[in-house]
Amino acid sequence: MKKVFGPHTRQVLEVLARLRSLSPGDVDLVTVAWKHASAVERAEAWAQLNRATSRDERYPILAAAAAGRRTAMDTARNLNRTDWAFWAAAWDVSAAVAAGDAIGGYFEVLAAPVAEVMPSLAEAEVSVQSPARVPSPRSQHDSVAPAGPSPAPRGRSSRATS
Amino acid sequence: MKTQFRQFFESSPDALLVVDSVGRIRQANAQAESLFGYRHEQVHGELAQTLFPGQQVTWSPPTGPPEQRRPTGRHLELVGRRSDRSQFPADVAVIPIQTAEGPETLVSIKDLSDEQRAQFALELGLDVLQSAERDEHALLGHLLRALEQERARIAADIHDDTIQILSAANLRLQQLRHRLQAPEDLQVLDKLEETLTLSLGRLRQLIFDLRPSTLEQATVADAVRAYLEEMRSELGIDYRVEGTCRAEIPASTSTLIYRTVQEALVNVRKHARAKTVRVQFLDVSEGCLTRISDDGVGYSPAEVEDQPGHLGLTLMRERAEMAGGWCRIESAPGGGTVVEFWVPFESPPEQSGVGRERAA
Repeated sequence: MKKVFGPHTRQVLEVLARLRSLSPGDVDLVTVAWKHASAVERAEAWAQLNRATSRDERYPILAAAAAGRRTAMDTARNLNRTDWAFWAAAWDVSAAVAAGDAIGGYFEVLAAPVAEVMPSLAEAEVSVQSPARVPSPRSQHDSVAPAGPSPAPRGRSSRATS
Repeated sequence: MKTQFRQFFESSPDALLVVDSVGRIRQANAQAESLFGYRHEQVHGELAQTLFPGQQVTWSPPTGPPEQRRPTGRHLELVGRRSDRSQFPADVAVIPIQTAEGPETLVSIKDLSDEQRAQFALELGLDVLQSAERDEHALLGHLLRALEQERARIAADIHDDTIQILSAANLRLQQLRHRLQAPEDLQVLDKLEETLTLSLGRLRQLIFDLRPSTLEQATVADAVRAYLEEMRSELGIDYRVEGTCRAEIPASTSTLIYRTVQEALVNVRKHARAKTVRVQFLDVSEGCLTRISDDGVGYSPAEVEDQPGHLGLTLMRERAEMAGGWCRIESAPGGGTVVEFWVPFESPPEQSGVGRERAA
């Protein structure tokens, strides 16, 4: 079978399915987590993704990211959520899952906000670790601050997503 | 078989067989007969292997002490053969069961021909889409390069031709001033000079927009600041420019950054109805991270991105990607818009840098 989203298509499809079934509380948690995360580290992670992959390899990764973003936008609309930080987080995590260990430790940077409501993503991160793993440096200077309105967190949903 | 199992067996939409401990078919339901083209009496007692010739499959249920038997099923992808010898791809579930006759195996067979045909069609569609996507990338690349070349040509034409003509006209007006005496004539002359000066000013701004000379002498942040200053005087939009990328950026990269910021700011001018726009630059991972955010009306990405005619958004992404970087454009109604992009200082060899013509 052709892998639409590259070698990790099955995992991407799982994330897409879970994004579809999130609760309003989950969406708010992801939104807040994405905003609290370092924009600089995120940029570094995407830079690493661009460096570690050829244009042909990036195609399925960006396709996964676009599918994740679109799925998250649909979920947000259904749940009356309008903060774009949520679908930005979905964009990041879908790309990270599609890229797999190509981005080493930066997987965690891109996946962390959504991993708040999908703990299995954090486990996936552990499983992709290898000796050649690229560390994700914690930048102290994060002057490119996340923007956008902050939703009021409603606490973690009781719905299990993993 | 117990009645309930019998009912399940006969009414199942899938083809089912019951295979005994030596691999012989003991039961076949109507769907199995139909799928393979055999009547029940033709397959009864035959080896299940005859329906899947040439494939090594263990049909017999697990043996050994009951506590060591794991009654779990398994899926196999096999090729089934019908009575007319035609073949079909099959998903086969092999499930150990316990019957009055002892341990046996329930075999469920699903014809995958339709799925495979659909999958083939999907894969074909995917190939076509990917090919179209590559063509689109190539086309956009050509478009961006052509755009830069055309901008440079128009700027040169305006500078070398139109501005020279207007400057000459201005000089002649100065000469005319010495010959005129009547106050009403001098008043008309003043108006003419004013109009000419305004025209020259606008043309020089246009040249700057087309070929930002500031980039040759100063940083991208300075060029952006100059553009924003113009925007503030024209539209009253306040601005903040924070940070700067390192000074020694290749000209092609600084042009690319400037163009992308300019594209974002054009959108702010046209659509955002913003009071303030903020542009931030930061060196990140041997590249420049740029973020343009406004406090305008925003838009619904799901609605806007589905409609044609948003070439500006596409070109921003394309510019960054062509240079080996990335671009994120996000917005929500009432929530302003953020354009964030990162481009490496040096484009990787596989990328064709946009703006190289300008730099040359």
